[in-house]
Amino acid sequence: MSDRLRAGDIDLEVLRRGGGRPILLVHGVNPVSPKAPFLDLLAEHGEIVAPSHPGFGNSPRADDFDTMYDLVHLYREVLDALPGQVAMVGFSFGGWIAAEVAVSAPAKLDRLVLVDPVGIKLGGREERDIVHFFNTSPSDLNRLAWHDPTKRPAEVYGLGWQANIDDRMSDEAMIALASNWDALAVYAWRPHMYNPQLKQWLRRISVPSLVLWGASDRIVTADYGRAYSALIPGARFAAIDEAGHHPELEQPRVFVELVARFLGQSA
Amino acid sequence: MELWNHCENPYPFVPAEVLDEASSVRASLPNKYCDPKIAARLYDEIFDEYRLCDDIGLHIVTNEHHSGINNLWAASPVITGIVARLTRNVRILSLGTLVTVRPDPVRIAEEYATIDVLSKGRLEIGFVKSGATEMVSGDANPMRIREREWEAIDLIEKALTTHDGPFSWEGKFFTHPHVNIWPRPYQQPRPEFWAATSDLPTCAELGRRNIVNTLLFGGYDRTRQAFDAYKAARRAAAQPAPGEDRFSYMAFAYVGDTDEEALRIGQKIAWFLTVSIKSAPQFARFQPGAVAPEMAPAAWRAGVSRRPRPTNLDAAVLVGQGQMFAGNPDTVARQIKEFRKRVGGIHHIIMMTRQGLVTHAEAEKSFNLTAKEVLPQLQDLPPIDEDETAWQARREAAAK
Repeated sequence: MSDRLRAGDIDLEVLRRGGGRPILLVHGVNPVSPKAPFLDLLAEHGEIVAPSHPGFGNSPRADDFDTMYDLVHLYREVLDALPGQVAMVGFSFGGWIAAEVAVSAPAKLDRLVLVDPVGIKLGGREERDIVHFFNTSPSDLNRLAWHDPTKRPAEVYGLGWQANIDDRMSDEAMIALASNWDALAVYAWRPHMYNPQLKQWLRRISVPSLVLWGASDRIVTADYGRAYSALIPGARFAAIDEAGHHPELEQPRVFVELVARFLGQSA
Repeated sequence: MELWNHCENPYPFVPAEVLDEASSVRASLPNKYCDPKIAARLYDEIFDEYRLCDDIGLHIVTNEHHSGINNLWAASPVITGIVARLTRNVRILSLGTLVTVRPDPVRIAEEYATIDVLSKGRLEIGFVKSGATEMVSGDANPMRIREREWEAIDLIEKALTTHDGPFSWEGKFFTHPHVNIWPRPYQQPRPEFWAATSDLPTCAELGRRNIVNTLLFGGYDRTRQAFDAYKAARRAAAQPAPGEDRFSYMAFAYVGDTDEEALRIGQKIAWFLTVSIKSAPQFARFQPGAVAPEMAPAAWRAGVSRRPRPTNLDAAVLVGQGQMFAGNPDTVARQIKEFRKRVGGIHHIIMMTRQGLVTHAEAEKSFNLTAKEVLPQLQDLPPIDEDETAWQARREAAAK
């Protein structure tokens, strides 16, 4: 039985590690894997709290829980359920959730880290900012999402996971990946991975913010990241070399160093 | 029994090397490979075939698929409207427009009501759940499409049958505050509804709603199970047993002068299975909702082992599986009667004949033989003896 977290009347699977100030991780295409090497490093700087969104991992999703609106209010409730002030770190799709939550200015939030987030539309109507998660071939996703797909940590899956399925994988792991993918489509098929209104409200984010980007990310490029960062008042931007869409998985040490330094700074 | 002609208007003219190279022959194959002059000829030929069907008593089915070599009917209501005006006698089934892709079921109801009026009550309305590449071509969320389909059906039915509107609809997937279609349908209370599915819970719901259940190429056993689920649901709801006219089956079909000729031409139909369904993994087994998560290991492991695609489907094998009716007129009549018996009764057979590489002349020859020499053999058939079919099913089960 996985560890659980209650937010209002919603029951979530949660991964916890370390102790101290809460660091809330808001996951992307898959829940934060307990096997991700960055976890123990980051747990030296606070208590990691990493829930699975409804429909992902072992978190049930109610029929009517099916929009970004629901996720934003859920994560506001999660913030309320945690002790003291909270640092929130959002990855990819979870970065979009974290940005939306931060725009709503919850009192419990005191630091925001966005890691290769999606969520806004920047380019023209015939330019695609974000490679289509669902309509792109597994091999292309795997190539575009990683600086070096061969260095992916074992049994940890990001975008392009379909290209990494092999017959040795357990049924349980396959079922989890399928459930996660289905849930992601419920929330984010259309508009694909962004809220057309979000860009104009990023100026409402009032907590210290750090935007981290894998320099080799070709799902959403570092240029998109710089522009995203520039829309958040006072945000700092940092690119991480030799990392793609999941710098926390490809460069865990550099990633944790940057986050830890940011969390250690006074506001 | 009644026989229907269904042609998908395939486009088998893209060079093989292009198709071999493409990851998918639907959704992503550029339309530079579709020559509009060839397309225009195909439309002419197939509308001529429909006129022939009208003269000889074969009903007509249209459908739609998008962005691919398998089907040039981009909008079933458009095509059905043309067929309605080209024909005078036969019934016309739209099977169907993609209600899970289109944003407003009220427009669909309006289009169908219009066709029903201009055909003077010859329209039947079919529903399909759709999925796969259609979700990509139509940018429709592939999750929860069955729920969306049922809500669309409910709204279309209410739009067709409400005559003192406007009424308001605020559903889960569709909202419309002011529904009031003109014209209203010619048939009262509404045209017959059909749905294509072999999903047993859905078949049961069709049973409770008295909607015609058609299967597509399901073969004997799957079709029998589906119809049994339909009947059981009606029994459980204390509703009268359904007539055979509630059941339909679509199969490949070719009627020739001889069995040999029919199998030879029928073999050209297999293009549908060997070429026209090639689809990239992101549009198929990895599309959200394509397989229930608990079924993913089976679906994906089969994919991992790279099972080769079927390239040599023998017409005789398809006949043996009940997926094709092919032979001389007597042979085909016998095959259909046997099928009817083995599935526990059926009234409608939808024959997919102009498929794959089958030519216009070949299709018309089959239609003429079908109407003149097969259809008469399928009239006034004795009722299905349920005891006999049950006994036969038991015997087959014992043999396995």
